[in-house]
Amino acid sequence: MADPTLPALDPRSRRWVLLSAGACLLPLLLQLPAQIAVTIGASALAVAALSWRQPVHGLLRLLLSLVLIAVVLGMSGFSIGRDTGCALLAAMLAIKPSETFSLRDARSLLGFALFAPFATFLLDQGPLSLALGLTATLLALAALMLLADIESGDVRRDASPWQRMAGTGRLLALGLPVALAAFWLFPRLSSPLWGVPERAMGRPGLSDRMSPGDWIELLDDDRPALRARFFSDMPRPQQMYWRGPVMWDFDGRTWTQPRWTAGWSETAIERSPQRWDYEIELEPTDRRQLVALDLPVAAPEGSELDPDQSLKSHTPLTGISRWRMQSAVPVRYQAALPGQLRQYALQLPAGYNPRTVGLARQWRQEAGPLADGEIVDRALAWIRRDFAYTLDTPLLGRNSVDEFLFDQRAGFCEHFSSSFVVLMRAAGIPARVVTGYTGGYRNKVGGYWLVRRSDAHAWAEVWLRGRGWVRVDPTAAVAPERIYDTLQDRLPGADLAGGRSLLDFGDWMRSGWNDFVLGFDAQRQQRLLRPLGIDRIDDRTLVLLLMLAIALGLLWMFWFSRRNEREPDPVLRAWHALARRYRHLGLERYPDEPAGRWVQRVAAARPELAAQLQELSQRFSDWRYAEGEPGGRSTRALTQALRAHRPSARNGSPSSRIPGERR
Amino acid sequence: MIWTRPRDPESLPARLHRRRIYVLPTRFGMFYALLLFTMLLGALNYNNNPALLLGLMLAGAGLASLVAAQMQLSGLELVTVDAEPVAAGAPLSVRLHARAAPGRARRGLRLDDDGSFSASPGILNLERGTGEGQLLLPTQQRGWFDLPKLRLSTTRPLGLARAWAYVWPESPLLVYPAPEADGPPLPAGHGDRVQARVNPSGDDVHHLRAYRSGDARRTIAWKPSARRDTLLVREFEQPIGAEIVLDWRETAGIGYEARIARLARWIDDAEREGRRYQLRLPGHAALGPDRGTQHRHACLRALALMPHG
Repeated sequence: MADPTLPALDPRSRRWVLLSAGACLLPLLLQLPAQIAVTIGASALAVAALSWRQPVHGLLRLLLSLVLIAVVLGMSGFSIGRDTGCALLAAMLAIKPSETFSLRDARSLLGFALFAPFATFLLDQGPLSLALGLTATLLALAALMLLADIESGDVRRDASPWQRMAGTGRLLALGLPVALAAFWLFPRLSSPLWGVPERAMGRPGLSDRMSPGDWIELLDDDRPALRARFFSDMPRPQQMYWRGPVMWDFDGRTWTQPRWTAGWSETAIERSPQRWDYEIELEPTDRRQLVALDLPVAAPEGSELDPDQSLKSHTPLTGISRWRMQSAVPVRYQAALPGQLRQYALQLPAGYNPRTVGLARQWRQEAGPLADGEIVDRALAWIRRDFAYTLDTPLLGRNSVDEFLFDQRAGFCEHFSSSFVVLMRAAGIPARVVTGYTGGYRNKVGGYWLVRRSDAHAWAEVWLRGRGWVRVDPTAAVAPERIYDTLQDRLPGADLAGGRSLLDFGDWMRSGWNDFVLGFDAQRQQRLLRPLGIDRIDDRTLVLLLMLAIALGLLWMFWFSRRNEREPDPVLRAWHALARRYRHLGLERYPDEPAGRWVQRVAAARPELAAQLQELSQRFSDWRYAEGEPGGRSTRALTQALRAHRPSARNGSPSSRIPGERR
Repeated sequence: MIWTRPRDPESLPARLHRRRIYVLPTRFGMFYALLLFTMLLGALNYNNNPALLLGLMLAGAGLASLVAAQMQLSGLELVTVDAEPVAAGAPLSVRLHARAAPGRARRGLRLDDDGSFSASPGILNLERGTGEGQLLLPTQQRGWFDLPKLRLSTTRPLGLARAWAYVWPESPLLVYPAPEADGPPLPAGHGDRVQARVNPSGDDVHHLRAYRSGDARRTIAWKPSARRDTLLVREFEQPIGAEIVLDWRETAGIGYEARIARLARWIDDAEREGRRYQLRLPGHAALGPDRGTQHRHACLRALALMPHG
């Protein structure tokens, strides 16, 4: 059916439509890079002002669109991806009002506007975005409702925006059971259909590279990085090393991860019997790198272990993800080091840091060829004695390790770990830099550990004969309190009474939201029925369950919508139901048939039913048209009597159980 | 017996059972569905739960709006249909009275036909369970006018889907014959006074008055009209009280339908001039002499129902 010709919008309705579209645009703008957001926001306001009274001329509109699109593309570096797409959508929403003057235009504008909260959620899932996005969605739906009212030619001017919002809310509530059922039961993709782009704006988390001195911002970032829940004993805070990227390659300035190719043999690890059983919930990073307590026993489903036991997810972590893991402290970790790896772990860039190399050689000569442990101890003792921890470091020059070890002697974990590994390698001890997080903060409300980005840390692993890789943390030798989060002043507002528990509570709420909604994925879906003793659900069962749930949800919709149509009077309801019970006898009362005539008709066909029906209809008529029932019998009794009358299909007397009936 | 689409006219009151109601997405509804599909696909791909939940909520609201659209119509009952009879060719303004259980707001229901007639749509609003709507249907010929299938539809609440249902009321309405546009004046009355001789070009014009629809073209005074910029009609002195006999036999010599049209015009003229008249039709008792609305309707009805010759 073709739509009828759609009328033009009156100015007031148009303002509503523009306002709703603006509300949808707002959360998206907050997620875009500042300069793009400001450009688009300004354009949106300008377009709204220009087209306040009459449409903008077509040529001007085209020009505006082209300019804005070009500017947005230029600002986002001409990379086509999710973020550029979101920016372009925002730009389109900013321009579209210039031609929105008919009902149809308004509808398409609102349709695209509804896409904006969705795009926002792709970029960010914080509480602010969610609240703004949800409000905007409600507003947009209310505006659609207004348009439908205009189309029907019955605009109730007295209907306030709040009433429309309430109507919208009612529709959403009606659809909610179906929506929730589909949310939990629609089969999830365990791997994405198309590539998930890296977020161009970058949320600096743990990087896959490390240049000493560049973590200053990260160490100042108090946003959560991960939350961990233990199902077994907990390691002591000093043992909480969340191991992340392992760096082998050094070019004099930056440490980077190796690109592992297939064909590395299994790493032999002897573990202590103590197991840490826990689940971590990682905030999105858009990278594949995972962290685990030193060392994971096995790679959880959906991830893989590199030869250096660094965990990587199969897909980028674009949303909250949860990983159930077991870790154990290694006793012997790769006690037999393949020659190739040994060479790799001894490489140093040629011509850098001559003083450090000289010092290391001197130590090696003094200690002898087999005394690797002594050299490690000597280095740690030196650091403990002569070095200080500070975040206030100058930029380092070409020979960064020399400058740090011999001139500055003050820095933070990056400097310590990097210099320590270079020193060890120069002394002939295989060594590598490990980055990750240390410590954590116990949230007493939720009973989990919270690790923030500021807990990022870098340490070293050295290979010692007979023991394999051993963790050495040179920074801990200088400033253990800086690492294990024993300082309480990390939290803003902690000095206020109760401020701390309030913050704990806030983070716990957020963690619950993560638990309930954000972290739900294919794996958790399969474990949905675990409480009922079903270990895994396969897709076919899921689809069946989904169908069932949707059917139930639709029934609920109909029932709920019909409910207010039910005859409110119980006596009338019982009377109508009684008349319907005669349907299978072919004697249903016609809607317009008076009770008396109907009784006569029934009596003619089924005389054995007549007496009782006669009496009931008489009582009903008295109740309905006279002053209540004679004898003062209650409405309730009549209702019960009406309900109890059941005409049987056989030629017998009607069965009738009338409780409390005395004649 | 419940059918989706009435095949025959139905007697009123007709109740719109929910199985008689069609619901199909509008073009905007299709667009909305496509939008949601894109959203859900993207959300599933990025495994982004808030986005997925948003898409599903919008889908749920869309479904609920389909139900709500259908609910607007289901259970509605058309009680009566009536219309003031009009002359053939003029649009017939059909009034529908509807009622429903007062549980739901049913407003802004669009009322039109199924497209076979070019009806101008009307709006049906129900207040506290009753309401009426009007639509204009074009008419062509005199006689019983069988209503076409009528359609009640709505795109509320969100404009995503149109719910519609057909009703085909079995209440024939009467269309009077179209009066002749131009023709001889009323026949001479007979009574106590003789009608003044009509001479359109003469000067015995009683007075000029503004044109009223239905006036014969030849009575229009063109020159004075041109001077005044409005149509004026010569009105001749008509003796009041002279009874006229409008006899079918006196109109012989022109076509069958033309005779009916001429008599219809004479009836209107006589009414306008406030004279008593009698209508004599073959196979019919003489109507009148009388005057007034009732008499006029009786005469026009008799004319309208003349067998089609």
